[in-house]
Amino acid sequence: MTTTATTPTRPNTADRTTPDITPRRVLRSEWHKLWTLRSTWITLALTVVLTVGVGVAITATYESGGGDSDMDAVLLVLLGMQFTQITIGVLGILVTAGEYSTGMIRSSLTVVPRRLPVLWSKAAVLGAVAFTVVLATNFVTFPLAQAFLSDTDQSASLGDPGVVRALVGNAAGLALLGVLALGIGSLIRSVPGSIGVLIGAVMILPEVLAILPYEVTDAVVRHLPAQALMSLTHAQPAPDIASPGSALLSLVLWAAATLATAALLLKRRDV
Amino acid sequence: MITAQQLTKRYGNRTAVSDLSFTVRPGTVTGFLGPNGAGKSTTMRMILGLDSPTRGRATIGDRAYAAHPAPLREVGALLEARSVHPGRTAYHHLMTLAHTHGIPRSRVEHVLDLTGLTDAAHRRIKGFSLGMGQRLGIAAALLGDPATVILDEPVNGLDPEGVLWIRTLLKSLAAQGRTVFVSSHLMSEMALTAEHLVIIGRGRLLADTTVADFIRESGAGTVKVVTPEATTLAGLLSGPGVDITRDTPGTLLIHGTDAEHIGRTAATHGIPLFELTPSAASLEEAFMELTRDAVEFAATVEGAAA
Ligand SMILES: Nc1ncnc2c1ncn2[C@@H]1O[C@H](COP(=O)(O)OP(=O)(O)OP(=O)(O)O)[C@@H](O)[C@H]1O
Ligand SMILES: [Mg+2]
Repeated sequence: MTTTATTPTRPNTADRTTPDITPRRVLRSEWHKLWTLRSTWITLALTVVLTVGVGVAITATYESGGGDSDMDAVLLVLLGMQFTQITIGVLGILVTAGEYSTGMIRSSLTVVPRRLPVLWSKAAVLGAVAFTVVLATNFVTFPLAQAFLSDTDQSASLGDPGVVRALVGNAAGLALLGVLALGIGSLIRSVPGSIGVLIGAVMILPEVLAILPYEVTDAVVRHLPAQALMSLTHAQPAPDIASPGSALLSLVLWAAATLATAALLLKRRDV
Repeated sequence: MITAQQLTKRYGNRTAVSDLSFTVRPGTVTGFLGPNGAGKSTTMRMILGLDSPTRGRATIGDRAYAAHPAPLREVGALLEARSVHPGRTAYHHLMTLAHTHGIPRSRVEHVLDLTGLTDAAHRRIKGFSLGMGQRLGIAAALLGDPATVILDEPVNGLDPEGVLWIRTLLKSLAAQGRTVFVSSHLMSEMALTAEHLVIIGRGRLLADTTVADFIRESGAGTVKVVTPEATTLAGLLSGPGVDITRDTPGTLLIHGTDAEHIGRTAATHGIPLFELTPSAASLEEAFMELTRDAVEFAATVEGAAA
């Protein structure tokens, strides 16, 4: 058998212009991954439709002096978040667990073998996209819904104290919830399993804890993700909710803790 | 150059790869052979850092795969299991990988073209056949124009034309000086493609040899001749490409020529032959012989097993 070239040509050394992996490039890759999937467009469209739809449905049928009279002006308009927590959460889960269920994760971690940049970029891209979409939706929904409330006791405007803060706070809260869900997806690695954990831990657990007759649980419950999100959605302070600052801090900590755990295990586990 | 040093992988109490050491050199195609469950895919996943070894280590060039600043340009890999999101198009799938290394769109289009996927580039992978999926995996492996190529059963699912294409591709990659490491179940396929062989069974190294040596030692294509004038006959038959070994006195094992030629030569020179037997063992049988004790999932034919 003939031996090939005694001096093998290193094929890839000549055209090394800017070959390395950089955080910016991994971000670009994750952004490309996100927008090229149909499920992303579906979950985001549902988020928009549910926010606007529920907001309009509630305000169009609103009557002064009814059961919702003492509800916060922004919370009333953004009640669709009961559903959009799920749509944004599912999107976050699909970003990570979706890669495990399809096998894409093997490609992702082969091209970026240090692994963690993939997780950070996924979280950053999802957080930014969710925040932007929800924020834009909120700023459309509020004036639209207020058009139905002009002659009622819930009449308010963007200029009223706390309104803009609550609209932005809601967007930030949902984006952080999405990142939390993304972390759960990375830990659980299965889409249905992660959705189960998200619904159980974020939506059912607080209800169970709230039933318990201990003072401390109230304080804890107030700072759980879904409750913190609700606090953030208030234009006016209310007696039994966390302040916007501590609510935001709790959500940041929940998302960060979940993501950190996911990072630790991503680094250690086999793919 | 790929180096495995005492690679060991345990999953629970099952040992998939055990104390495996070998070197894969640039400029040749190295075949990685073993029966089902031998540990080929596990070894490749460890080389790529997807599974971490229980013991030992694997390096590519001077360092572990994950320690390279631009791994995609260093190593291109086709894994056994599908590693794509079926909802994306082939083009977008490759673009997501390309972005991580700043590889331009023109290179993506080039590898799509190289693998014959240009027409399917904008179709969702969901609708791809097994062979198209393999081609996409190979396109991804070539994306970074890598110095090392690791392919886990690349011919799996390919039609004869595709098999031939892979064979030519692997040889040309090696001829360009790249390191080519390719797994297969089929000795006969590797005999056509590879120059070097690493054979494992039950996670252990069984042979680290060249194809030429394996064929010689396996006895495939050998003719056994028993004659009282062995020395004379050997002298008459020897020539380039003919390999003659003496077994017992009066017995020759001849490789590189056929029984007809040997018989006629003996007749012309009036040499009596007591036996003239072409060896029945094929390359595949020699491989099965070597791995027999190491077969993980031996099939038993119903009835015959009793
Ligand atoms: N993730 C895993 N968890 C548990 N066991 C595993 C895992 N991956 C592989 N194994 C086991 O390790 C052994 C080697 O498997 P591997 O897939 O590496 O073999 P292979 O040589 O690639 O086989 P094939 O020719 O069938 O592809 C098998 O017994 C398999 O069951
Ligand atoms: Mg395998």
